[in-house]
Amino acid sequence: MPKVLACYKWVVDGADVRVKKDLSVEMMSESKISDYDRNAIEAAVRAAKTIGGEAVGLSFGTGKCNLSAKSALSRGLKETYWINAPEAASADGKITADALAAAIRQIGDVMLVICADGASDTLARQTAPRIGGVLDWPVVTALCEMKIEGNTLTVVKKLEDTRDTVQVELPAVVSILPEVNPAPLPGLGAIMSAAKKKTTEIKGETLGIAFTTNTKVEEIKGYAMNRKNTLFKEGQLADQVKALALALRKEGAL
Amino acid sequence: MAGIYIYSDKIDTAAELVGFAKRVGKSAIILAVSEEAAVKASESGADKVVLLEGGDCRIENYGKAIAKFLQEEDAELFAAASTVRGREIAANVAGYLGCAMVSDIRSAEFRDGRLETVRMIYGGAVLQNETITGLCVITVQPALFEPAEAAQAEIVRLSVEVAPRIRLISTAPVVKEGVDLKKADRIVSVGMGFNREEDLGLARDLAGAMGAEVGCSRSIAEERRWMPESRYVGITGVQVKPLVYLAVGISGQAQHVYGIKDSRIIVAVNNSESAPIFRAADYGIVADLYDVLPLLTETLKNL
Repeated sequence: MPKVLACYKWVVDGADVRVKKDLSVEMMSESKISDYDRNAIEAAVRAAKTIGGEAVGLSFGTGKCNLSAKSALSRGLKETYWINAPEAASADGKITADALAAAIRQIGDVMLVICADGASDTLARQTAPRIGGVLDWPVVTALCEMKIEGNTLTVVKKLEDTRDTVQVELPAVVSILPEVNPAPLPGLGAIMSAAKKKTTEIKGETLGIAFTTNTKVEEIKGYAMNRKNTLFKEGQLADQVKALALALRKEGAL
Repeated sequence: MAGIYIYSDKIDTAAELVGFAKRVGKSAIILAVSEEAAVKASESGADKVVLLEGGDCRIENYGKAIAKFLQEEDAELFAAASTVRGREIAANVAGYLGCAMVSDIRSAEFRDGRLETVRMIYGGAVLQNETITGLCVITVQPALFEPAEAAQAEIVRLSVEVAPRIRLISTAPVVKEGVDLKKADRIVSVGMGFNREEDLGLARDLAGAMGAEVGCSRSIAEERRWMPESRYVGITGVQVKPLVYLAVGISGQAQHVYGIKDSRIIVAVNNSESAPIFRAADYGIVADLYDVLPLLTETLKNL
């Protein structure tokens, strides 16, 4: 049965990234499926219904990545695959796309790969076009509408000044903007049944890729945005509002 | 020919990328896939413009051909504008080349034969410094580099093999409604903290009191459709730099903060102290916007 595959990333919640005074960065342990990847999963579920295929998920991560499976499955996927590789902890866009593309080949029968336009942690927006390059499949990014008829994918691509309607033949790789479709919260029944769905681990060493890249992260540090980060907390709300108004006047911002 | 190869569908950014190449002492070669783009690019100070002729004018179909060409030319860097087309072709080429790519750099320098880059992650809260050895790809936002002085470059035609797999069916211009937020001095911007569309009147009242325009988060424009897309501030919307940006009921996700980072003063009103917007703000009040906005409007009127 043909598969529509949604790639999703298990990311640290941006709200849990703490920058300390010395600009070192502390990541809290709580993670989540990247915001727009939820829309990509829903798009895959809808597309699979259209073509009479299966919607499956694929993620790349360390052992912790498996924690994402239930959340992804509760959103309507029939099955998820997760690539378990320690290299994922420091993977860049190249290693990530190499791993995902190799897994897509291994899974087989994939007609359409759907990614979000960007992940909520890095916003690098590389994954879909890179996978397309590695697989030598056509790529369309920044989709705001999508329709499948037979083997033809018709999409509306949102550019800065135009909306372009383009067609490609499947298999293809796309990245979607969240307006393609909403990402509804799964109901209790869907969450309960997710536990019974199939999750398949793909061990990184079976993919036949080198997990190497020509980039090296030298430093990660908090960005001093030169923001005052002043919260008005003293007194009643009216006092706080007045303090804000006076601060804006003093800044010459009014 | 070694050097920096450039693609941009915005001519101003192409000239800025040429300026970067000149500053770091590299040759600048602009790639184009249409006669019109090549002629425009030839006036931007580049050393050369290469017109790739593959019988198709859509850059999206040229990823494989560009990767092959860059390898043959012993290119040092492929730099693309951070537009939808630029980002797509950049990452697609990186995929074909199997090389590193750094998106939306804030700076780039060549040292000891390596490229050193800095970019922002986690919505601008964190900087990531990287070094890249060998051929790599970067994308660059407009106005990061000074443009090169205008000068005429030769246009070299090169026949390449292209499979027209992505077919254009139609194109429609985006109708931009209302004001240009990029030019606004003051912006009151609304987010998902608002429960009903009619409640946006509270933000409009405040904007009126402070002589501001009203902007919004992506979700307000594209999910709830309460405001036109031209009012949406963020990395894929309008990127603004007002004197003061007042974010009301906006959590401050990465894509939004990126769009406001050049504002002189950022103010946040949100009922959650852990909302990321406060990390990007100069001033903030942790409270219900429905309580804050009427008070602030009244206070400003009487100030």
